Amino acid sequence: MNQSSLAAVSTFKLPVLPIPHSHPSRNCGNIDNLAIECHNMCYSITTKQGRLKPILKDCSLSIPSGQLWMLLGPNGSGKSTLLKIFAGLLNPNEGFLRVKKPRSFVFQNPDHQVVMPTVKDDVAFGLSKFNLTYDEIRSRVARALDAVGMYDYLQRPVQTLSGGQKQRVAIAGALAEACKVLLLDELTTFLDEADQVGVIKAVKNTLASSEEITALWVTHRLEELEYADGAVYMEEGKVIMHGDASSIMDFIEARQAAYIKQIYS
Amino acid sequence: MFTQLVHAHPSAKLPLPSPLYTVRPSTPPIFKHQFTPNSRTQFFFLQHHHQKLRPFIRCAANSEGVGGNKLNWEKWVPRNFLAADKVFRWISEATSSPIGQYISSPTTFLHSVDSRIKLAWLLVLVVLPARSHISVRFGLVIFLALLSMWMQPKQVWVDQLGRVTLLSGILFIMLGLGTDSAPSLVFSRTPPPSILGLPNLPTSLEGYSYVIMKFGPLQLTRKGLSTASTSACLTFTIFQSASLCLTSTTPEQLAFALQWFIHPLKHLGLPVAEIILTLLLSLRFITLVFDEVRNVALGIVSRRINWQLLTTMETVDVFFTYIRRIFRNIFSHSEQISQAMIARGFRGDCNSHKLFLSAGTSSAMANILSLLCLVGLIGAATWSKYLLS
Ligand SMILES: Nc1ncnc2c1ncn2[C@@H]1O[C@H](COP(=O)(O)OP(=O)(O)OP(=O)(O)O)[C@@H](O)[C@H]1O
Ligand SMILES: [Mg+2]
Repeated sequence: MNQSSLAAVSTFKLPVLPIPHSHPSRNCGNIDNLAIECHNMCYSITTKQGRLKPILKDCSLSIPSGQLWMLLGPNGSGKSTLLKIFAGLLNPNEGFLRVKKPRSFVFQNPDHQVVMPTVKDDVAFGLSKFNLTYDEIRSRVARALDAVGMYDYLQRPVQTLSGGQKQRVAIAGALAEACKVLLLDELTTFLDEADQVGVIKAVKNTLASSEEITALWVTHRLEELEYADGAVYMEEGKVIMHGDASSIMDFIEARQAAYIKQIYS
Repeated sequence: MFTQLVHAHPSAKLPLPSPLYTVRPSTPPIFKHQFTPNSRTQFFFLQHHHQKLRPFIRCAANSEGVGGNKLNWEKWVPRNFLAADKVFRWISEATSSPIGQYISSPTTFLHSVDSRIKLAWLLVLVVLPARSHISVRFGLVIFLALLSMWMQPKQVWVDQLGRVTLLSGILFIMLGLGTDSAPSLVFSRTPPPSILGLPNLPTSLEGYSYVIMKFGPLQLTRKGLSTASTSACLTFTIFQSASLCLTSTTPEQLAFALQWFIHPLKHLGLPVAEIILTLLLSLRFITLVFDEVRNVALGIVSRRINWQLLTTMETVDVFFTYIRRIFRNIFSHSEQISQAMIARGFRGDCNSHKLFLSAGTSSAMANILSLLCLVGLIGAATWSKYLLS
């Protein structure tokens, strides 16, 4: 619902809002406390015809440590691309970028993320690089699966899970790694209402467990904004707005209202 | 809004809407003849269908003598002889039932046997049928069939046994009758004894005969029976035992068992870690391929293509599009998976990226019992060669 109306909104001329660069967090001005920071970042790809197609244009944003931020925007506005750049999977063409490490990334499609044949192996896959003992790995896997409510599925082959369950396994994989920065691409697309809240709470709990952990969460659902500390709104590869969750919520609702008025007038 | 626009469009009043004004469905169509569910635009589409689909045939009817001959044969080719719709439906159904996937819920005796013993059993079952007496071969087949009936859920073993029996039955008949039937004309290099001036060779007293049965020009000989039974039993045991092993062993245990067996070969330079990781990745990937094949087939079925309207070439074209699409999807999947592996910390070095595999739980009783059975089987097979021949 939201996404279609958002997408449609973007084609209409609307009052240009100033980009608020002063983010509301208490850490304002303290560079060391920023988990993600980028200035004037551009990213473009070369099409088959050899032309340069810009996908991200002049993006600037900063996200303080220890908070859960949401990234919103219509389809194709470059959210996944921005997240992949933050994860280090793509390199920006120009601009300044700094992201705390280690970071983990959960893909939009869980089929891409889950690489091992059983649930347990998959969650343990990301842990192999840490030099842990077998028992430590087992307890971490168990804790991560418990956090997303999938502990009973430890031995299950991945292909027998539903889309939402696969997504939770993917999230558990990211949680188990206990990274400083969690980049989560539209986790709740496959989940039902109750699961959605459950997963957000699981992420929030992880954030609460340590001061250091930061999460950037891509979503299309406005109701998830109430769990966020801050939000970023993107359109056509540009960061349109960047600030605390309630003002972004007001901004998007104003846009929707304007759009609906336009239809009925 | 979409339909209103269509309605108000001037082209609606024209008798022959030009193709420029066609209403586009909201998603780009894969095939040009797909059915669109929008009832208002349906009429348009059907008209276009006829126009777009039959240009050749109309041409042929109008100008009979000029160039129409070339395409006349098309009328005689039975259209839709592949029953394309049925084929796609069949594909989507066949790939939806899991083939050789781990079944966790009813825990059976086989689940509690150590995976290394199961792997040893597999190896023995592959080697034995080729090197033992025919009665042992058939005994093995019956044993495996009974074991799967006992161990697997009914729906699984009915499916699996049916497939494997059909395959090995065909092999048995073809090889049994084919091995010695035709060449009797060819290899009569040695002249018959009467020409050499020798007395006829005495026939066997015990009723030994090389030819067992005759079916017209075909004959079942001892050599044929031996070849046929070996290959049919081998096929049966390989497929059936693999299925039994896969349904009762998790991929992780399987990888662990393989790792345990090939670990000593590491000193010979065998890349054990790579092999194990590849095994695990491919076990995951196989299911993705099945999913992809099924999803694309379902996508085509649900588009409700009007197969009657398609010519044979166009039907073939749809099939090629299908295959192309599967491959493209699979390649993009593997690209994404490799990206995910990198994102999750895999740096291409399997040795530093340790996978923790465990044998899982197994009961000592089951292990001892199955090991004893294995030893007994090997012994019986070895003795059968001396005792029964
Ligand atoms: N490899 C690529 N080749 C061509 N175009 C691409 C590629 N990757 C992304 N794009 C384009 O970049 C734009 C942004 O894509 P992106 O996936 O980031 O969107 P998104 O905001 O995540 O959308 P959604 O909400 O649907 O997930 C899209 O217009 C897309 O077509
Ligand atoms: Mg996306």
